[in-house]
Formats: sequence, C-alpha cells, structure tokens
Amino acid sequence: MMEVLRITDLSKNFGGVSAVVDFGLIQKENEITGIIGPNGAGKTTVFNLITGIYPVDSGEIWFYGKRIAGLPAHKITVLGITRTFQNIRLFRNLNVLDNVKTAYGIKTSYTMWEEMVRYGRVKQEEERTEELARGFLSYFGLEKYSDSFPYNLPYGLQRRLELARALMAGPKLLLLDEPGAGLNPKEIRQLMETLLKIQRDRALSIIIVEHHMELVMKICETIHVLNFGKKIAEGKPEEIQKDEAVLQAYLGDQA
Amino acid sequence: MEFYLKVLEITCLYTILVLGAYLMTGLTGLFSLGQGAFLSIGAYTASISYLHFHVPFPLAVLLAVLIGTSVGFLVGIPVLRLHRDYFLLVTFGFSEMVRAALLHLAQLTGGALGVAGIPKLAGLPTILVSILFITFLIFNLKRSRFGRNCIAIRDDELAASLMGINVYGHKMKVFLLSSAITSYGGALYAFVIMFIEPNLFNWLESAKLIVITFVGGVNSITGAIITSVIYYSFGEFFRFVDVWRDVLLSIAVLLVTIFRPKGIFGSWELSLTKLLHRRGKGM
Repeated sequence: MMEVLRITDLSKNFGGVSAVVDFGLIQKENEITGIIGPNGAGKTTVFNLITGIYPVDSGEIWFYGKRIAGLPAHKITVLGITRTFQNIRLFRNLNVLDNVKTAYGIKTSYTMWEEMVRYGRVKQEEERTEELARGFLSYFGLEKYSDSFPYNLPYGLQRRLELARALMAGPKLLLLDEPGAGLNPKEIRQLMETLLKIQRDRALSIIIVEHHMELVMKICETIHVLNFGKKIAEGKPEEIQKDEAVLQAYLGDQA
Repeated sequence: MEFYLKVLEITCLYTILVLGAYLMTGLTGLFSLGQGAFLSIGAYTASISYLHFHVPFPLAVLLAVLIGTSVGFLVGIPVLRLHRDYFLLVTFGFSEMVRAALLHLAQLTGGALGVAGIPKLAGLPTILVSILFITFLIFNLKRSRFGRNCIAIRDDELAASLMGINVYGHKMKVFLLSSAITSYGGALYAFVIMFIEPNLFNWLESAKLIVITFVGGVNSITGAIITSVIYYSFGEFFRFVDVWRDVLLSIAVLLVTIFRPKGIFGSWELSLTKLLHRRGKGM
C-alpha cells in the first residue's frame, strides 16, 4: 500500500522541555491512525510540526516522498494536508458558507486583478466554489445554517463545520486534533460513522489525536501511544489495550 | 453655495482615504497609523512633479500612485512581519518620519511653508467618479477569495495559513493596494485644495480613519462610506462647536463600541439587486 506520510526521529524542545523525542510514524494510504497519550504527552505538538506551525528541531517528515519539514504552513496545506483544532478555530466574522469557501482558495486560479473587476473566470470559479461549499454543508447537515455565524452554532455543529472546512481544501491527509472533545455519546457515534464514511468515500488517510478511547479503538487501524514526548507503544487497538507500558502510563503502577 | 461645494469636495476626498483604511484596517485588521504618510507622499509627488518638472496632470497623479506604492512596498517588507501594537507603532513612526522629512527637505518641499500655487485641476466630478470606481474594486475584492482571505487573516492568522493562505503575501497585497489608494487620494487632494503642507495629515487624522471604519462596521464598505460622509460633512457644518466636535465623536465611538460592537452597519451592504428583489417579493 502507498505510503502517505513518513516521520523519522522527529524531535522538538521548548526551552528545556522535550515536547517530542525521536518520534516516528508511517501512515499508509486510506488508513486511520490514532495518536493517544495522557495530557501534555506531545500529541498536538506532533500535529503542529507536521503542519509547519512549529519549526522542526531535528528529524524528517516526508509526504508522498517529498520532504516537508521546514516548509511554511500554507505550502504544506497546498500539498494536501489539512487539519482541525483541539480548541475550534473558525473564522468568526465569516458566515458558515464563507468559512468553508475559504479553504477552496488554493484551488482557484484567478488573479487579484481579475477579481477586482470580476472579469473572466472569476464568476465561474466562484460559482464552482459556492456549489462545492454547499455540497459539503449538506454532507454534514449544516445547509440550513449557511448564513449564520459559526460561533452562534451549537458546539457539535462547530466541530462538524471545522471538518467540512478541512475537507473543502481537498486534502490527501487529514489531521484531526481531538475531534470528539466536548461531544456527547450520541455525537461521538455520529462522528465515528462520519469519519468512516469520508474515509471510504474520499479515499482519505486520517490521523487522529484523541482522548476518547472508544472512538480510537473502534476506528483506528494503528495506534501510537505517547508519554512525555516519547513513543511507548505502537500497534493494533487490541495490542495496545493489553500493553503493560500503556496501562502504566494511563493508570499508574498496579502496585 | 461655494461653501457647500467645498465641504462636499473635502468630504469626498476624505472618503477616498477612508476606503484605503477600510481595506487595511477594516477588512484585514492591520492597524496602520501610516496612512497620513502615503497621503503626503501622494500629494507632494504630484504637486512637485507638476510645478517643478512640468509633468502633465494625469501623469503626475500616476507618478504619485507609483511612488506611493513603491514606498509602501519598501515599508511593508519589514513592517508586515510585525503584529498588532508593534505594527501600529512602526507605522506611526514611519508617518512621523515622512512628516519630518518633508519639513526639513525645504528646498524641494518648501518646508513648513508648504507648496502653494497648485492649480485647481480636479473637482467634484473627478472625485466622485474615483470613489465609485474604488468602491467597485473593493466591493468586488470583498465578495470573492481576496476578501474572504482578508477576513480570515483578521480573525485567526494561524488558521488562515492552515487554509493555505500565504498570510504575509496577502497582507503585502493589501498594504500595496491601500498605499496606492491613499497616495491617489493625496494627489487629488493637492489639486483640489491647491495648497499642501507637512502637517496637513498628522497621525491623529490617520487614527480618525480607523475610528470611522470601526464606527461604520469593519465588515461593511457601505458603513465606512456613510460614516465618513456624515463625520466629515457634519463636521464642517458644526464648526461652531469647535473642540467639542471631537468630544462628540468620542461619545459616539463609546456608544457604538458598547451597544454595537460590530459597528453601526454590522455586515450590511447596500445592494441594488437585493433591494429590487425584496421589493418584488414584499408586495
């Protein structure tokens, strides 16, 4: 199977604190991978390093065979990695529809000068953007909110909107940072179904950072466990559930 | 009658400047106190090239825009890496620098005496057409990718860059467009008011442009234009209240920020098609 992402010996320090130490990961095409670990284990930092928010201290990241460590964040998005955030980051002054449209900017080809006078392909491409954005909104059941502003939506819908926006950019790899945080059990089940559905429909590869064990265990093919920045285990869900080091990290010594 | 015409001319000139500030501060959230500098650069370039070097009027205006935009580029390279208050402070410094330079380069600029004897080559029609044209451009930008990117950057730079927006590059485009509009406004100013001096547009005036965009509503071009017209025209009629004019403005700003934090007009835009549509449906 095709290799989407390969991370080798990735490290990151903040002052004296080692947030990530020699982390490695191989993501296969059309698979869902989970990264779990206690709070402060460095899971989100891994995402921030992949997406170019933080510069990498050492190590390499390859995306479809191309080195991406050191590239600015916007270029990495253009290559095909998008993400959602642990604490939702929508654009508060753009309505729901425009939030989704924003992600499609990288796929449009008109120049600023054409935009100014609304000449030529601008109109067609704007119509295409609108059509696609509405498509994603209805896919996520958000079509009736298209004119509302994102922070007036219930929390669960904001999460879905962020997902819709991330997909609108047409990613090959989707990074989800705690997509289940703040959702109730019913919404978690919906989320699982949605994720499996988009993985199937769009042949996407997904990496999930999550605390919600049921979600991770049910939909991930491979799970990586981090503790204090170091990987302590890697394997299939049933292997992870029995792993000594993992149980110790989560529950402490059995004494 | 002449008085009213004069008031209208000044109001419309300032509205061009408000449009420049709207693009920068309203849409993109870059708080610049440097607009005055670009106005001065435009005004001085146009009038000096016309008076001393006999450049024809349209070319002098074009030259003003070109020089204003080039200076904008040079200033933008370092300044656009800064954020919020640091950006504000450096643009403030830049505008004071330009003012000092104009005062001290007396041989070329006339120093504190300013430049007098500029012929009146532009009037209300030119200014109005300019406003319409600039509004048309900004409105088109606002309703497509460019405008969405501006607002995305204003709301959350990090999330914007992760949507594939080159934040620095986009800010540069905004900064250049705004400098171009403002220096164009400056060039017209010189040929309408017929006299310019280094203090004609200090940082307080730049700050007023920001205040006007905020009172009107950062998401509404209509709001910026209407607020600008009201402020600058009523201002002239209420000259008798003197210093109290600014007190009144401050009170208005306070009331708006408390009761309508998104500005008087929010994100409402005047739209002909919508107006006609509503009338048709309402019947």
